[in-house]
Amino acid sequence: MEMEKPARRRDTDDRRHEGITSEVEGFNERGRRAVQDRELHDAVALATEKFVTGRNAVLNALPDAPELRERAYRIKQETIANLDRYLEQMADAVEKRGGNVFFARDGEDVVRYVGELARRRGAKMIAKSKSMATEEIELNRRLEEDYADLGLEIVETDLGEWIAQLAGDHPSHIIGPILHMNRHQVADVLSGVAGEKLPPNVEQLTRFARGRMRQKFLTADIGMTGANFGVAETGTVVTVTNEGNGRLVTSVPPVHVVVMGIEKLIPKFSDLSVFVQLLARSGTGQKITVYTNFITGPRGDGELDGAEEMHLILLDNGRSELLGTEFEEALYCIRCGACLNVCPVYRQTGGHAYGSTYSGPIGAVITPLLKGDEEAKDLPHASSLCGACTEACPVGIPLHDLLLKLRNRQVEKGLASKAQEIAFKGFESTMKSPALYKISSKAGRLAQKPLMQDGSVRPVPGPLSGWTGSRDLPPLAKKSFRELWKEGI
Amino acid sequence: MADRAEFLEKIRHRTRSGRYKPTHAPDVAWTPKSEPAGREEIEDPPTRFLEELEALGGHGRRVSSPEEAREYVVSLAREKGAKLLVRWDVEELDRLGVDDPLKEAGVEVVIWRDLGDFREETARADVGLSTAEWAIAETGSLVLTSGPGQGRTVTLLPPTYVAVVAVEKVLSTVPEAIEKYAGGGGLPANVCFHTGPSRSGDIEMSLVTGVHGPGDVHVVLVG
Repeated sequence: MEMEKPARRRDTDDRRHEGITSEVEGFNERGRRAVQDRELHDAVALATEKFVTGRNAVLNALPDAPELRERAYRIKQETIANLDRYLEQMADAVEKRGGNVFFARDGEDVVRYVGELARRRGAKMIAKSKSMATEEIELNRRLEEDYADLGLEIVETDLGEWIAQLAGDHPSHIIGPILHMNRHQVADVLSGVAGEKLPPNVEQLTRFARGRMRQKFLTADIGMTGANFGVAETGTVVTVTNEGNGRLVTSVPPVHVVVMGIEKLIPKFSDLSVFVQLLARSGTGQKITVYTNFITGPRGDGELDGAEEMHLILLDNGRSELLGTEFEEALYCIRCGACLNVCPVYRQTGGHAYGSTYSGPIGAVITPLLKGDEEAKDLPHASSLCGACTEACPVGIPLHDLLLKLRNRQVEKGLASKAQEIAFKGFESTMKSPALYKISSKAGRLAQKPLMQDGSVRPVPGPLSGWTGSRDLPPLAKKSFRELWKEGI
Repeated sequence: MADRAEFLEKIRHRTRSGRYKPTHAPDVAWTPKSEPAGREEIEDPPTRFLEELEALGGHGRRVSSPEEAREYVVSLAREKGAKLLVRWDVEELDRLGVDDPLKEAGVEVVIWRDLGDFREETARADVGLSTAEWAIAETGSLVLTSGPGQGRTVTLLPPTYVAVVAVEKVLSTVPEAIEKYAGGGGLPANVCFHTGPSRSGDIEMSLVTGVHGPGDVHVVLVG
């Protein structure tokens, strides 16, 4: 496919407008603002609490859940360790069923493939169901810009994604894209589309969306989805949605394009029983998603609906760099969102503070890995390392270990701030020497005196402001445990 | 454009030359705290299926004869004030004999064959009618497969959807249903586990049904 592409605007205004590739650095500032936003805080708290409660209930009712988790980890381990073989098997199986397969190194490759496909089909409208992979590569904006001459209309059909798209916003949670918005904000956005004032009534707003979206489904030239799983053995692409939009965009338009990260593969169809049982339970707290849709190639002989033409795009975009490294397990992720819901940092800040497509613990891990440490310096620190994420992960990714490894990598690359570096070095030598430890805790009690206010340590200027700026610290105890122990407590 | 061989070679090289081998077993305590009791036995799958479907806001009924199933479909169409019903072109539904009674009740029936543009007819329909390959008791799911006569949109575009399923088709668990298609060959172009009414919790986590797919879902188990 050769085709001169127009120069792309890459200025900051543009980035801010898209929001998606806004500077990833600066979690601290965005996080601080988010923590002070009461409405946001309440919305995020409500949603994460509901997700967690639902998840705990359905997983507790599944006696073999721990065993399923172990199996999920082993299946992903096997897949990723032999990824080349499974990719080849997947591609062969899809082609055998009459589908087309394209290997994309990065977003640029995807944009060109889809753009040229749209040109060939004379397409005017692309209806998409939720896909984090296309968010990651900003497919919508880039297609509209690079293929402006086609006049493409690209519509997100997931209710939350559509509202985010209309608001010029971007998803703040993997499975609850607009959980940061309340019904009044949604009513404002949809009123703009309706050209009349819509009441902040969830039922009515949803009816309105259904009506508007119906026409899009019926007239779209191309349906586009991501993939929750790709089965190498059969060439099957699995998507799950509750609204039915995933099934609609693969059933009504004549062309179906799948954009799937290469890590989404699993070897066998029977492996799906492990993942289908874990995914919805871990994500929304359902036993199963309303529509669990298995697509194997284009429509068969004699079928009247389903896409006539099916394209599977296998996207690398930095994922292969993780293979064979200590970060490999980050590729096991099935994007259920469980780690976001339990993370004390995410619950305080919401997703936008991360400034990246993927938020929460998994976002803090994969963003620096896919985009580079320099691009996302703050994210590995957006964690209290409490380990709740690791515990919640249904495939057993050691998330907080990976965050620590990333911090370590920053120090090795000389990316950590001086204060951090000194602090970690100091911490290391202090902990190794009992004498130094004793002196330092005494010194600490003296040093904090001027900072004390109402019994807690207040924000301090200087190198420690990053730590104390958003926290009130309890003061050090008057006597240390060591001292009390010596005195016989 | 990425060359396939080159793409795969890069991945092969990285997986083979990488020194790190993940050995971390997911050994931390996990939420489920129940005793390793094994999976709960589902004693009466059809009853469980109907309970699960109702819990999701769907409607289910077990009837003993095809006549009763026919009556269910016809009165549903009447109750909804339906003008048009679209149905799969499969033998079980021919045998069910709903077409004539529906027409008598003033409901036009479109059968999924030789349609000009399926979009137009199906989008206009008030009720969609199909069978199912299987049903799953533990989740209240229907297993729908595509094929000639078995349009995907019949189950998707009309606001009311009803499936008539023989009671022998009810399986107990999701893994059982997946096993039916495991092992490679012969997979239909589309299989769908359809579980209750279409729904969304995207706005303030408030549950709304009938977002894009049908909000009104009925299953009649026969036998």
